[in-house]
Amino acid sequence: MVREVSESCVESLLAEIVSSYCTGFYANKPELAARRIEAIGFQVGHQLSERYTMDRPRFTDHLEAIKFICKDFWSELFKKQIDNLKTNHRGTFVLQDNRFRWLAHMSIDPSVETSGNIQDPSAMAENKAAQATGMHLYFPCGIIRGALSNLGIPCAVSADISNLPACSFVVRIKA
Amino acid sequence: MAPVAPKSGDAIFASVDRVNAELFTLTYGAIVRQLLTDLEEVEEVNKQLDQMGYNIGVRLVDEFLAKSNVSRCVDFRETAEVIAKVGFKMFLGVTASVSNWDAEGTTCSIILEDNPLVDFVELPDTCQGLYYCNILSGVIRGALEMVSMKTEVTWLRDMLRGDDVFELQVKLLKQVPEEYPYKDDE
Amino acid sequence: MIVCVAVVGHQNNPLYIQSFTEADDALKLHHIVHCSLDVVDERVNNPKKSGPTLNETFLGLLYPTENYKVYGYLTNTKVKFILVTTDLDVRDADVRNFFRRFHTAYVDAVSNPFHVPGKKITSKVFAERVSTIVKSFGLSSGS
Repeated sequence: MVREVSESCVESLLAEIVSSYCTGFYANKPELAARRIEAIGFQVGHQLSERYTMDRPRFTDHLEAIKFICKDFWSELFKKQIDNLKTNHRGTFVLQDNRFRWLAHMSIDPSVETSGNIQDPSAMAENKAAQATGMHLYFPCGIIRGALSNLGIPCAVSADISNLPACSFVVRIKA
Repeated sequence: MAPVAPKSGDAIFASVDRVNAELFTLTYGAIVRQLLTDLEEVEEVNKQLDQMGYNIGVRLVDEFLAKSNVSRCVDFRETAEVIAKVGFKMFLGVTASVSNWDAEGTTCSIILEDNPLVDFVELPDTCQGLYYCNILSGVIRGALEMVSMKTEVTWLRDMLRGDDVFELQVKLLKQVPEEYPYKDDE
Repeated sequence: MIVCVAVVGHQNNPLYIQSFTEADDALKLHHIVHCSLDVVDERVNNPKKSGPTLNETFLGLLYPTENYKVYGYLTNTKVKFILVTTDLDVRDADVRNFFRRFHTAYVDAVSNPFHVPGKKITSKVFAERVSTIVKSFGLSSGS
């Protein structure tokens, strides 16, 4: 039997991670807060990939591992698969979830695109709501990066929410 | 003791959205580890976990009241039972029990034998002062404060420190009926 | 009888090694484990292209020595498990069963939030579980 807890528990923890790091310790340093939140996700992803790959043969290539993230891994976390996977065949993969659960219960300003990469923190700071959403996405970005990294695939992961309620995770594999 | 909750913890847990407990367990573990790195002092981590729990308790109490059909006007004794039998079940999927009441009926223990927070956890020797599950004491304190009960919650037993169960002592400090402690910020 | 088990990281860094003999042959066993790592790499880089064994985590018998048989296992996360036994008549099913239980214990050990990836596994719970698994090796008929 699979042990379960209420979804509220996970969502509560997520909200507390973001508020502790963004309004607490690193209120004026969003880049640092982001890095810490991503690090928490990384550890979780690293451990989950260890658990969820236990009963399967080893992956032969990157695509196979990415497909595993899209299907089995995502299903374990969200009870659904990634809806759309695109690649440029040069090491970049875009994983789109048409209705990302961890954003479903948040109010978001849909006019603002936020990236999981630290590109322009000052611009992000201008919009508190977008910043809060962006901060929430560092956690799942970290999970994906942690999982792939443990499978031997070093990469950078960012998130794109320009098509809400869809959320796309962009995985760039490091050569 | 008559059950005070119109709905059982099992029934509510069966009806709420649930997730794989591993995600929750590992996320909480990663938070504790990251806090230890960032705050350095174990005592600071204990405080932070308690604070996070308090914030969660304050927020979750509405969901709890709505889904359990529990009315707000129960006394402390009933409240403790409801937390143990319904609250823990509804959120963590485990049942706690209440014991060790003092004569005045203002202090009791909530006993937890099964706790998903600590699956896989082994405390390193460097963290002996850590109350790993301190978020739980914060949750209880926060939730009770929203129903006008000011409490002090302390750990008496901890399985991560070799005890056979988790035991949280809940002490009622002050009960303010018919007054909702709204805060300015939040 | 199992005389030694080991967990080795993806850079061939030892994460856990435990021998189970009274005799003072730990060094020799460690040497056997060390030598088996090359066989694992070779096995993985040049897989037999046929059959269901392709990319299977269980790598089978790595090599027999005069007194020992050495078996290997490679997880998806590139962690190697090595088993050294003195039993010369070993059933494949027993070895697979051993690795499956060992893998489960390993995964739980690295799920401890205080475990640092790539660092030695110091968990007492893991050591106890491994000891139990080692003692029951070959006792159960099948899985």
